[in-house]
Amino acid sequence: MYEKMNGKIPLEKIDDYRWRIPRSYKPGMRVPGLIYADEKLLKDIYQDKALEQVANVAFLPGIVNNSLAMPDIHWGYGFPIGGVAATDIEEGGVVSPGGVGFDINCGVRLLKTNLEYDDVKDKIKDLIYRLFSDVPAGVGSEGNIRVSPKEEKEILLKGARWAVEKGFGTDDDLECTEENGAMSGADPQAVSERAVQRGKTQSGTLGSGNHFLEVQVIDQLYDRDACDELKLNLGQVTIMIHSGSRGLGYQVCEDYSRGMIASLAKFNINVPDRQLACAPVASSEGKAYLSAMKCAANYAWCNRQCLMHLTRKVFENFFGSSWQKLGMFLIYDVAHNIAKIEKHKVDGKEKDLCVHRKGAMRAFGPGHPALPERYKRMGQPVIIPGDMGRNSYLLAGTERAMPETFGSACHGAGRLKSRTASAKSVTSDMLLKELGSKGIIVKASGRNTLVEEAPSAYKNVNDVVDVVHNAGIAKRVCRMRPLGVIKG
Amino acid sequence: MKAAYKLIEHTADIGIRVKSFSLAGLFKNAGFAITDLSFQKQTSQYPGKHNIVIRQKAANVEELFINWLNELLSVSAVEALVFEDIKIIQINENFVDAIAIGSDIRNYKFSAEIKAATYHQLKVKKSGLLWQAEVIFDV
Repeated sequence: MYEKMNGKIPLEKIDDYRWRIPRSYKPGMRVPGLIYADEKLLKDIYQDKALEQVANVAFLPGIVNNSLAMPDIHWGYGFPIGGVAATDIEEGGVVSPGGVGFDINCGVRLLKTNLEYDDVKDKIKDLIYRLFSDVPAGVGSEGNIRVSPKEEKEILLKGARWAVEKGFGTDDDLECTEENGAMSGADPQAVSERAVQRGKTQSGTLGSGNHFLEVQVIDQLYDRDACDELKLNLGQVTIMIHSGSRGLGYQVCEDYSRGMIASLAKFNINVPDRQLACAPVASSEGKAYLSAMKCAANYAWCNRQCLMHLTRKVFENFFGSSWQKLGMFLIYDVAHNIAKIEKHKVDGKEKDLCVHRKGAMRAFGPGHPALPERYKRMGQPVIIPGDMGRNSYLLAGTERAMPETFGSACHGAGRLKSRTASAKSVTSDMLLKELGSKGIIVKASGRNTLVEEAPSAYKNVNDVVDVVHNAGIAKRVCRMRPLGVIKG
Repeated sequence: MKAAYKLIEHTADIGIRVKSFSLAGLFKNAGFAITDLSFQKQTSQYPGKHNIVIRQKAANVEELFINWLNELLSVSAVEALVFEDIKIIQINENFVDAIAIGSDIRNYKFSAEIKAATYHQLKVKKSGLLWQAEVIFDV
């Protein structure tokens, strides 16, 4: 057996794309760690403390099969970013707010258009500036979509449907959104007044940090059948939106993380990091968190629906045509910070599991009942953004991912450098010039965000997607390259 | 406000180390670090100071430290204020009573959004006469 050592962490090679941290590494691990990576990515993964965090997650009560890490894994707080963990509810399985994170239902959506590269190549700067002007971005940005306190509560229940009922989209958009844009079981009573206040003015705002809105062009087709099914072609313009639940989600996570610290003693739970604080899913603490988390998830789906509506409006004004005529239809919207109760087979028996995806994306295979009819044949669209200078991908879920990763795949490129290291290595002028030389227009609220999010701060998404594809947990459909980006 | 802190490297987020010869000073320094990391003063066009009472209790000093920082972040976001000064009225390892003095957020430009203070690798301890704390913020 091939073995690698990083300090004290042993990694056993299973195959070219799978590595195991044995349970024997740390007393208290209930299951092994399983890392999806190749030798090249492992060198990056070794640079921080993510592997230790994979081992720590394996302590969670009720965890089944493996503590999983996707190839974009990097050091987070508690869970690694790129971590997946499923707990068996019947066996006292827990839910951990840290396994979802502060930005509950941070996620991405991908729209297609019937515009070609030639239609936008000479107008991209004006288009990006118009998007930057009309789509609120940046910390503290306030949305133009005003909601009353009563409507705020409605959003927590209805999610993206609230926006559609307001005329900001269609039923077809909801069909192409995970959970149809709203998780059932959301209880606004479980959300503090402070959380509602913190999210009050932020509906339809992009946020900051790694959140973005990107105009892209398809530059590589991999799965012709899937592309035909989706009506995607080389040179076609797409739009990707990455945002989450903003202040409301942060406050829900904070409110419940406080309570979960006390749950550790109450339920006699031993975890090596307090940010993994948790409670059994079946406990009143676990149920209350999930009810509130679903509200924040619904808020995020509403937010992305509103952002898409604003984007469609900008395109309509810019190109002088309706968004329907411009073919601006949603391909799919998926969360990558969430906990979901799902049915999966464990040792041949169907179980109700609480699947945490922290910086990981649901990637259900063909035929799964949660998928809309249109995607039952090809599998769930899996949307993988890269950095602003390289590529993004559309993948499809596979049958193999279901037993192996609880139907999960990576969520992006994964950070390589810290924000401070990135900011030291490049100036905003240098970066804008470099991106400009590739024909990429970037408009950001702050210069700090820009340099912190420089392409060199990220792993190469092409390497990450290679691993996911070659390991068989999702398959490539097509690749996009950025034309213009707006960032918070 | 004079922010005295050092950055700790972290791949995705921002960590800080703060020191003080008093617990009150430690809490103030960490609060000032949040303001310094998040905002840049642009103008004084929007005058007026707003005094906000911040009271927190916890089972131990580490939890108190996290509760304190998260309360500052939360109140700052909800009230649209940037805390330029902090007066600690009373503090021990389980309780803090303070007044955070805020200026209108429109006087500032945002430089980073701190979502929350986390428990990951959290340290709050006294060595000899010196209090030290390390905390990682989710950004």
